[in-house]
Amino acid sequence: MSKGKIAIVGIGEVPTANMPTRTHWDIIYDTCMEAVKDAGLHKNDIEGVVSVSPQAQPKITAELSFGKLPEELGLKGCKDTVSCNAGGASTSNCLRMAEQWIHSGIAKAVLVQHVTVHSTIPLADQINFFAKAGVDLQWEYPYGTTYNIIMGLMANRFMHESGCTPEQMASVVTALRSWASRDPNSFFYKKDVPSVEKVLSSDLLNTPLHKRESNVLGDGGCAMVVVSAEDAQKMKRPAAYKLGDSVRYFSGTCVMRDFKKVEEGFRVTAREAMAQAGITKEDVSIWNCYLAYPLAHPLVAELLEVAPPGKAGQYFLEGRMSFGGDIPWSTIGDAPGRGHTGSGVSAAHYVETARQLMGKAGERQVKNCRYVYQNAGGGSGFNNIATIWGKEI
Amino acid sequence: MPAAVRDSTISPPSGERRSDMEFDMTKPVPEVQPWSEKFWEGTKEGKLLIQVCKDCKSKIFYPRKYCPECWSGNLDWIEGSGRAKIYSFSTAYSMVEPKFMDELPYTIAYVDLEEGIRMMTRIVDCEPADIAIGMDVEVIFHERGGFYLPYFRPVRQ
Repeated sequence: MSKGKIAIVGIGEVPTANMPTRTHWDIIYDTCMEAVKDAGLHKNDIEGVVSVSPQAQPKITAELSFGKLPEELGLKGCKDTVSCNAGGASTSNCLRMAEQWIHSGIAKAVLVQHVTVHSTIPLADQINFFAKAGVDLQWEYPYGTTYNIIMGLMANRFMHESGCTPEQMASVVTALRSWASRDPNSFFYKKDVPSVEKVLSSDLLNTPLHKRESNVLGDGGCAMVVVSAEDAQKMKRPAAYKLGDSVRYFSGTCVMRDFKKVEEGFRVTAREAMAQAGITKEDVSIWNCYLAYPLAHPLVAELLEVAPPGKAGQYFLEGRMSFGGDIPWSTIGDAPGRGHTGSGVSAAHYVETARQLMGKAGERQVKNCRYVYQNAGGGSGFNNIATIWGKEI
Repeated sequence: MPAAVRDSTISPPSGERRSDMEFDMTKPVPEVQPWSEKFWEGTKEGKLLIQVCKDCKSKIFYPRKYCPECWSGNLDWIEGSGRAKIYSFSTAYSMVEPKFMDELPYTIAYVDLEEGIRMMTRIVDCEPADIAIGMDVEVIFHERGGFYLPYFRPVRQ
């Protein structure tokens, strides 16, 4: 990938909310049509469709992978459609597919979309799916581990090494929810922002994870229209240009995860993506970090050198990453603020990156937003993909 | 980091709701691969076996069909000492898979074996409040469904 090859020129999104009456296709229609209109294009200008594969929703996954979306929306110019599943890293890879299609000449405009409806999945099916997702069935699952526990293992080690306190960890929820409370598409829009004390007084699920440091599943969806950077410039519309990316694979099984390798992976991907974009960390307007759990944010803030070693927790506690703080950070509130829409959280992050660079973020708009760091991670954290997006080439 | 997670909306159901749903409450046992059978046979005999590569001398965990370092199929087993240190741990109090609800609270840990490999396990035979990173632990085996899972307990001084 080289600098400035593609751009997001249209975005569409529905609010994250548990609305069982809002079907998958209901959301797909609304988000995709909004994105195409936002791009100023006609539906038949869309020549490729790439879908983020939904988790735990086999029916819509099959319908999308069997090519129904272009037919449903009547995209007469569509030349191909495909689904991609790399867990939370799916959206990054969907954008890469769009990039490949655009530069190989298959498509001039590509629609990338994600949809999730968790609320209609029977509870038993949800439990059975998520109990095993990302958990090795031979070396982890039989011991009674869960995704929450895996996060607890990581967080306890981080707190042991960094000296980060429970209060500092809890303040991440406050920071993330301060953004989410101002985002009309977030699950916690206009909801009270919990104090540190309130977070810590919620039930302890597994050390050190409290209930308010976990996530709430939600239904939602979003879409983006991607064109070449050259075409985006010709369209003379607000756009988000992809300026650089970098990725490292860690491991597929949590117990095999070398924490030092993960830490180095976050550092090096950020450096490589920024070098490709020709910027430094001082140029970054927003650190749009998709980490799913709040407990991971202080660790990553230190790895990205946004905070010095051992100080990230204090930064969050001081409100520096909160709405109004001096370090704009995960401005949809990540999964704890947006509501967890499976792989859709990373899609929503990308839409937010584009929205901020387009200057359409309303109350959350970061002034003089010029460059955004955006990451995505797959599955239970098998990799990290760092991308840099800019307001212009 | 990661994507799909367990969350509060899918917390294990209350007793009333559970009765409305058909949960398979059978506790899971390891899904064994042919090349890991020896490991589980060893645990039945009270041995913690570690796969090794006879060509490049790597110690391998978890067991593979071929050495992940050199792709040799010339693999063997050694018996580990069963001693380890806790690298990290998390004690579960709620919101676990329903199959494990009756065992709460329980502590999951990563332990670093003397032989240089890291395993996921449970820490038992002590109060959760007494568990600490860096604690010395030793293996004991816990039977479930014909399998003997390696658990660890604090080393008795």
